[in-house]
Amino acid sequence: MLSLRTKNSLLGATAGWLVFLYGCAPQRPYHAPLPPSSSTTPALRTPQSTAPIPAPPPPEAPDTSRRPVPQEGKIREQDIRTKSPTPPPAGKETKESSRQAGIGESHATPEATVSPALPDDSSLLAKITPGVTPQRAASLRLTDEGRKLLDAGDAAKALTRLERTIAIDSTNPYGYFYLAKAQNRLGGYKESLNFLDVAESRLSGEPFWLAEVHALRGDNYRALGQPQRAETSYMQSLRLNSGNRTAADALLRLHADAQSPTK
Amino acid sequence: MLKSKLRIFSISLVTLLVITSSGLVFGAWYLKQLEDTVTKRFEGTKWIFPSKIYSDSYLLYVGISLRLDDLAEKLRRLGYFESQGAPKARGEYRISRSDGSVEIYLHDFEYPTEQLKGMPVRIVLQGTTVARIENLATGQEMFHLELEPELVTGLYERIWQERTVVKLADVPPLVTKAILAVEDERFFSHHGIDPIGIMRAMWVNLRNMSFQQGGSTLTQQLMKNFFLTDERTMSRKIPEALMALIAERKYSKETILENYLNEIYLGQKGSQGIFGVWEAAQFYFAKPLSDLTVGETALLAGLVRAPNRLSPYRSAELATKRRNVVLAKLLDDRIITRKQYDAALREKLPQRALVKVTNDAPFYVDYLRRELDENYSSAVLNKEGLRIFSGLDLQLQRIAERALVEGLKKLEAAHPSLRRHSTDDGLEGAIVVLRPQTGEIKAMVGGRNYQKSQFNRVFQAKRQPGSVFKPFVYLAALMYGGQSGAQYTPDSVLNDSPFTWSYDGQNWQPTNYNNEYFGAVTFRRALENSLNSATSRLAQDVGIRRVRDIAQRLGIQSSLPAVPSLALGSAEVTPLEVAVAFSTLANGGVRARPLAVRNVMDQNTRLLEKRDVRNEPVINPQLAYRMNELLKGVLDRGTGAAARRFGFTRPAAGKTGTTNDYKDAWFVGYTPDLLAVVWVGFDGPRKIGLSGAEAALPIWTDFMKSATASMPVTDFIAPAVEPESAPAGKCGPFSREGEPPAEPCPPAVQSTRSAESL
Repeated sequence: MLSLRTKNSLLGATAGWLVFLYGCAPQRPYHAPLPPSSSTTPALRTPQSTAPIPAPPPPEAPDTSRRPVPQEGKIREQDIRTKSPTPPPAGKETKESSRQAGIGESHATPEATVSPALPDDSSLLAKITPGVTPQRAASLRLTDEGRKLLDAGDAAKALTRLERTIAIDSTNPYGYFYLAKAQNRLGGYKESLNFLDVAESRLSGEPFWLAEVHALRGDNYRALGQPQRAETSYMQSLRLNSGNRTAADALLRLHADAQSPTK
Repeated sequence: MLKSKLRIFSISLVTLLVITSSGLVFGAWYLKQLEDTVTKRFEGTKWIFPSKIYSDSYLLYVGISLRLDDLAEKLRRLGYFESQGAPKARGEYRISRSDGSVEIYLHDFEYPTEQLKGMPVRIVLQGTTVARIENLATGQEMFHLELEPELVTGLYERIWQERTVVKLADVPPLVTKAILAVEDERFFSHHGIDPIGIMRAMWVNLRNMSFQQGGSTLTQQLMKNFFLTDERTMSRKIPEALMALIAERKYSKETILENYLNEIYLGQKGSQGIFGVWEAAQFYFAKPLSDLTVGETALLAGLVRAPNRLSPYRSAELATKRRNVVLAKLLDDRIITRKQYDAALREKLPQRALVKVTNDAPFYVDYLRRELDENYSSAVLNKEGLRIFSGLDLQLQRIAERALVEGLKKLEAAHPSLRRHSTDDGLEGAIVVLRPQTGEIKAMVGGRNYQKSQFNRVFQAKRQPGSVFKPFVYLAALMYGGQSGAQYTPDSVLNDSPFTWSYDGQNWQPTNYNNEYFGAVTFRRALENSLNSATSRLAQDVGIRRVRDIAQRLGIQSSLPAVPSLALGSAEVTPLEVAVAFSTLANGGVRARPLAVRNVMDQNTRLLEKRDVRNEPVINPQLAYRMNELLKGVLDRGTGAAARRFGFTRPAAGKTGTTNDYKDAWFVGYTPDLLAVVWVGFDGPRKIGLSGAEAALPIWTDFMKSATASMPVTDFIAPAVEPESAPAGKCGPFSREGEPPAEPCPPAVQSTRSAESL
């Protein structure tokens, strides 16, 4: 049996190599979106959080005539082409540069950007400390209930519960995150991305959770038929937390898919 | 002679034959018609069920502010009644003021996504804060508790028939026997009509020389309720009797009895008619039929004769008298024992206060109905018993209505010129309340008096917003900068002096309030004091199209012509649009779609529709935060400062609005958790001659003071990081899907954003 630390180290090394490989690889064409990953739960979840989760509905085939790719993606790529890439300061990547890192255009080396696997910060109840306001405490408890419902496969019920969390405490980023997760499970990928934006804006200095946000964002992009953006999001997630299994697994699958001759 | 007689005889005979055969044919046809009618009713849809509209549920959690009296009032409205001892049955509660606790035996409630089972709970308060919640059945501590939503109103055509259908097997035998004993004791031995009963009734009527008794059997009563009217005439009695005979021939006694027990009218609760024994047991005793005592059963059976006159809610004396008559009959017929009889006589009548469904939110219901009409026909809504769950908060609704009505009265008292000139020319107003995070419409008052005018000014009246529009100019300036290359910050200096804006060969000259100009003013002060000239100059520099873009992005859907006067709010919008747009600011740049309908369930508790919270980030959260900080200044130092003088002290942002012809007065204001828009004006062209600060702000303040009294004090929080796809406008890397191609950001804006986001 490997110890937790060893596992994390291995996972971190794998993630580092993945980021390195993707950074070096030429841009690959994508033919079809991959099925969503089987688990989007945070790494090192508590036992009850690893309950089987029904797979989300299969993503639709990318069809840009029916579903235009968001402008922001195009603009970002445009910026990449027109701007000369400026390497970020060593060990401290700016947000802008990380956003611009597309397939084959990652400016960062694994050594410079991949953080070690972060300790598990997924417990919401652990965040209820004596200084927490009653609203935040109630909101966190409801979020935790919503999370459990999601883990049990009841996304519709979870959604109802989670909508309560933001009504009680609009500053609770985890409520928004799990709302995004519930929407993802129900096939509302665009809604999920919107909730992730809000979650991200309300997260403060929490790389573990930011990594979760990016990983789920990657899942949504993949489901929307935008694998390149999915890949960018997964890499961003791994840069923040190399122990994010969702992102690591998804990247491996993306890589395998790209290498597959049938594709 | 003989021939003539024979001829007459034969003609008479033929005539008689024709008449007889015609009569027989007609009679047969008539009976067939009656039979078809009876069959159709028995085998088709027997009853219609009105749809019901519910408010939002109420979530209690440890740490929430709550007054004991408010909770008691809430429970009363939900149909709970106070018990002397510890609550033992669903729907009972007990308040212990000495230790500040409330014990409640919760109702069962079927939600769209889950079913809540009733259970006994205890809520302990420390002062006005919930300190502990406990499940009394298990002894476990709970951290939150959901009280079921309130019934707001029903949707129905003529009358609201409140009915829950039960099977005969589910009706306790004593209930059936008691009703049969007093209404039709020979039910199981007659064939639809009871000659003995009719003779008895005729004798009584002759003796009294008036129509006292009908002698109708239970089957006849059912036929009358199903098909006929209440009039006591032979023309009604004959088809009633014929139909009873047909029904008895075609259907079993049990089927007829079951239909009767579900059909029978047993009381009135405001606009709701109480039909059927199950519903009556709930209405009078708040318990299922199986839990009724002998006394309660007798009372229920006695009500059949005259439900309203004999109602315990109307006359305890008459109800007791009638109950005792029924009990005596049950004793005589040996249905109950002497011991049961004696015990039943000692039972007390239900002493609950009658809580009527009064529809305290008629404007909200109208709005909701419009939303529902998109997916459901009137027939479905009025007859198929849908359960519609809304985002309505009835407490906020009542506060909003009171604030508006009283606020308008005060205005009329202080300004007699505002009083009604003619019958249709009264001062009007509207309030709409939103929760910015979810977009739920929590309250809506579309006018002063729904009985007089159902015109809903919240979403049907398009009015000029005046200065309420100005924040969009300032937001556009912060976002895009000026076309001159100027970068704007709250401390930028603007020129507030008279000027002329020339466009399309025309000249437009905005003027300040009282023609007072302040020269060089800061960006912040120009907004706080709502300076027209400085704002117009700013709009000119930013570009009116960009101002329009921002307004639309935030949530304004009305057509906005890109003309200079748009900057000062010349384009007409509805209060609801204004509410959505400012909610986007309150929610950190995230627009939530407005929600009135949340869920729709059918009669079989199948979820037909669920409207989720939809959030869409439309402006950069940093910019939204900056605008909120600027608009807080309006309340703290600017045109909305009166709110502070009126005692509203919690962190809030807002903006006054007055149109330049003084026809419309607005105030939009919000805390991070609650937003309200108030509009005051006349429906016609009449001017009110008051500013938004004078007419709308006092109403808003009154509402917000009460509405937020039990809410925690919160402030706008600066966003932690800039989200990956946070939109910054048409410029820069974050333009959103479906928008025109990106344009480069002015350098100043880029630097501002990077300074903020890093």
